[in-house]
Amino acid sequence: MKNQWIEFFSGKVTVKVSGRGIERFLNVLTRNGLMIWNVKRHGTETITFTMSLSDALKIRHFAREKECSITFLRRAGMPFLFKRLLKNSGFIGGAILFLMIILVLSNVIWGIEIKGAKPATEYQIRKELDKMGVKIGKVQFFVDNVEGIQRKLTNNVGNLTWVGVELKGTTYHLQVVEKKEPEKPEQLAPRNLVAKKKAVIDSMYVETGQKMVDIHDHVEAGQLLVSGVIGKEGQTQQVAAIGEVWGETWYRSHVELPLKTKFFVFNGQEKQKFSLILGNLEIPIWGFGEPDFQEYEAEKNVKKINLLKWELPISIGNETLRAREETTRTYTDKEAEKNALELAKNKIKSGLDEEAIIKDEKILHKELKDGKVILDIHFKIIENIAVGQPIPKETPE
Amino acid sequence: MAKKWGLRVRNWMAQKMDLPQDVMMDLPRITMIGQIHIYIENHRGLITFTDKELRLLLKQGQLQIKGNSFVIKTILPEEILLEGKIDQVIYINENPGGAK
Repeated sequence: MKNQWIEFFSGKVTVKVSGRGIERFLNVLTRNGLMIWNVKRHGTETITFTMSLSDALKIRHFAREKECSITFLRRAGMPFLFKRLLKNSGFIGGAILFLMIILVLSNVIWGIEIKGAKPATEYQIRKELDKMGVKIGKVQFFVDNVEGIQRKLTNNVGNLTWVGVELKGTTYHLQVVEKKEPEKPEQLAPRNLVAKKKAVIDSMYVETGQKMVDIHDHVEAGQLLVSGVIGKEGQTQQVAAIGEVWGETWYRSHVELPLKTKFFVFNGQEKQKFSLILGNLEIPIWGFGEPDFQEYEAEKNVKKINLLKWELPISIGNETLRAREETTRTYTDKEAEKNALELAKNKIKSGLDEEAIIKDEKILHKELKDGKVILDIHFKIIENIAVGQPIPKETPE
Repeated sequence: MAKKWGLRVRNWMAQKMDLPQDVMMDLPRITMIGQIHIYIENHRGLITFTDKELRLLLKQGQLQIKGNSFVIKTILPEEILLEGKIDQVIYINENPGGAK
């Protein structure tokens, strides 16, 4: 017996043969290797049987020699189903198109909602989003991910403290916290200005208050610089001392800088890979093979595909392989020293106010050991040393 | 005469060498499953087929199968599978009345 399923795939035809000498006709067919099954007799001159589609095409040739007529009754199997499918392709095409449209529309940005921002800031945010390509009607795949948008917004829009970006379905929800502009100093409580640290006064500018020290004076930390108590003896009055006292302060800094440093740089070559991710299965769809470069760093982004409000288990992965090169930076002693000094300066500056200036630096100690330059540097810095200190409440005498 | 000699040799060989007879002597091998199926190998062609009778040509003589509601499930040049209700399986010799 044979498997009917194979016939189903190749297609089968029910044939009706009528006439005389049908048995002889069947013999001819079988001897020529045509497969016949389900032969049934209907009356004296008619017979029906089933045969495969490919054989049915040859049957006319044999029938011509005999005195029988052939009619094809029923066609079954895949080729005919397929033919019917083609005839009705409009429906299927429509269904697929419908799904595609829904799929595409589900991945389009349909709204951007900004909450918590003043109109001016909101306008600015919208402009920035436009620049990034986050617009109504754009497809989400070509837009940065939420973290990226968040980072760019906080970086590029000045007066934002924090912005929370959330993607709910097709709408971006932005929760904004604006920076509070520093308000005009309110009425300060009566206070003195005292020295922050040991220093030699370089220059002074006092708005209100009574100067207590002079230029070139040496002050200790906590020493009174500007008093908030003004007025003549006996008619004193307490005010908030305001002013700046610039003093020369000293810092010591210790830096070590290796002469040889190895680090990686990207050389600009990159390779993009796209893949379809189904659960744990990853099917590459673009960018095959290994990259031409050996050393690389891979960055992977995964975009989920939405359908209406659901997330499909399919997502699109985009992997960027960036070629990197190892380079060695070598300094001569001179260069190393210069760079170490620069490093030390930067380090000092980062710990100081913006207005502070480095007046002078002096290398106290220099050493070359284990391929490293070790420097001890003394810095002279001019900075504002005045800090407010409330005047202790005194009971008026 | 030569044909008869050949037949005798083959018959002798089949007996002495313990070979299956159907292979050696081109005899039909008939397998029946109850009354419902009959499977005939080594036939030489179809002579008659109606829903009550099937006649097959053999190398020697014919095979007649009687019954009702016959359907040929498969037919190949030397094999046939018949389905239906089988009542009789009859060998018809080539020369009726010419029995030796």
